[in-house]
Amino acid sequence: MAEKVALEIIVNGQSTTVEASSRAPLHSVIGKTLAETGNTGQPPENWEFRNEGGVLLDSDEKIGDLGLAAGARLFLNLKAGVGGDA
Amino acid sequence: MSPQYVDPGVSEAKFTREVEEYRSLEAGYRARGWFLIGAAFPVVRVVMCATRTQPPAVITGVALDYTNYDEEPPSVRLVHPFSGEPYTFGQLPTTLKRRVLGPPLEVPGLPVGPDGKPPRMVQEQPLMQASGPDEIPFLCLAGVREYHAHPAHSGDSWDLHRSSGAGRLVRLLEVIDVYGVRPISGYNVNLVPQIVGFLQDSVPE
Repeated sequence: MAEKVALEIIVNGQSTTVEASSRAPLHSVIGKTLAETGNTGQPPENWEFRNEGGVLLDSDEKIGDLGLAAGARLFLNLKAGVGGDA
Repeated sequence: MSPQYVDPGVSEAKFTREVEEYRSLEAGYRARGWFLIGAAFPVVRVVMCATRTQPPAVITGVALDYTNYDEEPPSVRLVHPFSGEPYTFGQLPTTLKRRVLGPPLEVPGLPVGPDGKPPRMVQEQPLMQASGPDEIPFLCLAGVREYHAHPAHSGDSWDLHRSSGAGRLVRLLEVIDVYGVRPISGYNVNLVPQIVGFLQDSVPE
């Protein structure tokens, strides 16, 4: 049975807590997280997750498979390549 | 740089929010090698260190100027960590290199890839840009004042990025860390041996 986990997600420095199923892919929480933190200007695919050590996480992986348990802290940041950066 | 024309109370409140949010998670940022060493409106100063080197190394200072925020994005400069002086391009300790795909190689006779498209070379592109080694470089990234003020980026207005938090403190530090600090894994040492004499294996009586 899928377990619900509460993840602490830091969006551009702003903290919020989002509950998700451990069987859901990590990217499934991006839309809700952005809505809760008022970051509306860029679509979910322009964001990326990193762990506390700064390591990029595969957003297509399931939350449980990434070893993320309740209370895990993740950083959701805009990708550097967004918007035609030189 | 423009003088403060936005209501200073508005810009300062937004600046304070950035600093307070940083402070609320400061222990985690310190573990990553980030040290906020000063925050007096409109400038935040952060020193960033490489944690993987032994001993750990101070890589760069960063000065972020939130004048007129968020009518304008912040100015971002890499600065000397002790003096606070902006680095010229030639002095930069890190240029924030990114791996990007180059243009398609349309060479007659060169086979196309499995997707039917011409192959592309992988290139390293610095996010820090300047036209010469003596110029103060800018961070070529949406959300940075110098990027949006550059004539080459007139089609990519700050207004397109403002609501996504592109100019927020932690987001900008994250980019500098990911491309400029975190990849640093050790010291690049250049040894220049010099012959200063001869070795003897014995001294006869």
